Amino acid sequence: MSELPELNPVIHGKLRLALLSLLVGVEEAEFTWLRSKTGSTDGNLGAQIAKLEEAGYVSVEKKFVQRKPQTLYRMTEAGRAALSEYIQALKKLLGGAIGA
Amino acid sequence: MTASNEELGLKDRLNLIETMISEGRRTTESWGWTFVFWGVAYYIAIAWTAIYHWPWAWLVTMAGAWVLYSAIIRSKQKNKPERRPGTTIGRAIFAIWISMGVSLSLLLPALGFSDRFNQHIFVAIVAAMLGVANGASGMIIRWKAQIASAFVWWAATVAACFGSDDQCTVVFLVAIFLCQIVFGVYAMNCEARLRKQQEANHV
Repeated sequence: MSELPELNPVIHGKLRLALLSLLVGVEEAEFTWLRSKTGSTDGNLGAQIAKLEEAGYVSVEKKFVQRKPQTLYRMTEAGRAALSEYIQALKKLLGGAIGA
Repeated sequence: MTASNEELGLKDRLNLIETMISEGRRTTESWGWTFVFWGVAYYIAIAWTAIYHWPWAWLVTMAGAWVLYSAIIRSKQKNKPERRPGTTIGRAIFAIWISMGVSLSLLLPALGFSDRFNQHIFVAIVAAMLGVANGASGMIIRWKAQIASAFVWWAATVAACFGSDDQCTVVFLVAIFLCQIVFGVYAMNCEARLRKQQEANHV
């Protein structure tokens, strides 16, 4: 029997998974956009992004645009690879159930 | 957790990934109005040239339209609660239209100043450029209506090389009506439908 793959615990959290899935389709995203798409609170979103940043999956850029602070998040190459591996593992675990 | 519950959780996660990826890529920007806006600007410039025969009518109208257009874009961005993130596709389409604008704003005045300008060349160049921009954008986002609009502009390019000045003007007026006004209104309708659908999905 082949060994079942393990799911990356950093990505497995629902909000962190949602954040990485959102970031994979865009070049960069603001905190407010991520908050509106995920419907999460500022505190929870900040904490989960910090975990992704710590893992090296997301990079953060803080700047001022027209004297207003702006925080931009980008997915790193490591994040892209980790999400891809996670999806592969997920598909393997689900096996035939995906098409059902 | 039982095996089926676990499977449900994993399936949930796969659905979440698909939903979020499509949310991120979905464009909710409204660009249909810009086609109508520039179509009206072309009509104003044509009418101004036809009635007063002023050689600077096009240049002045386009410059005025550009100032007004920039002001509208800036005010729309100010009123938005959150800025939509940039995508590679969005940047590619933006680059195409900006490059077309720069090419036209350099080429047409240069032809005018060098006295090598005539109505047929003008319509053929503008129609060809708009054909390129619409065709490339339509192919990138796989939108058949915009590709059809490009074909109308390309047909106008060919037609502008033949016939009288009056026929050339009619070709240009018809192409503007179809590709700017009709297509713009159609795009606005599509955007409104998409917005309604997104609002319904959020409820």
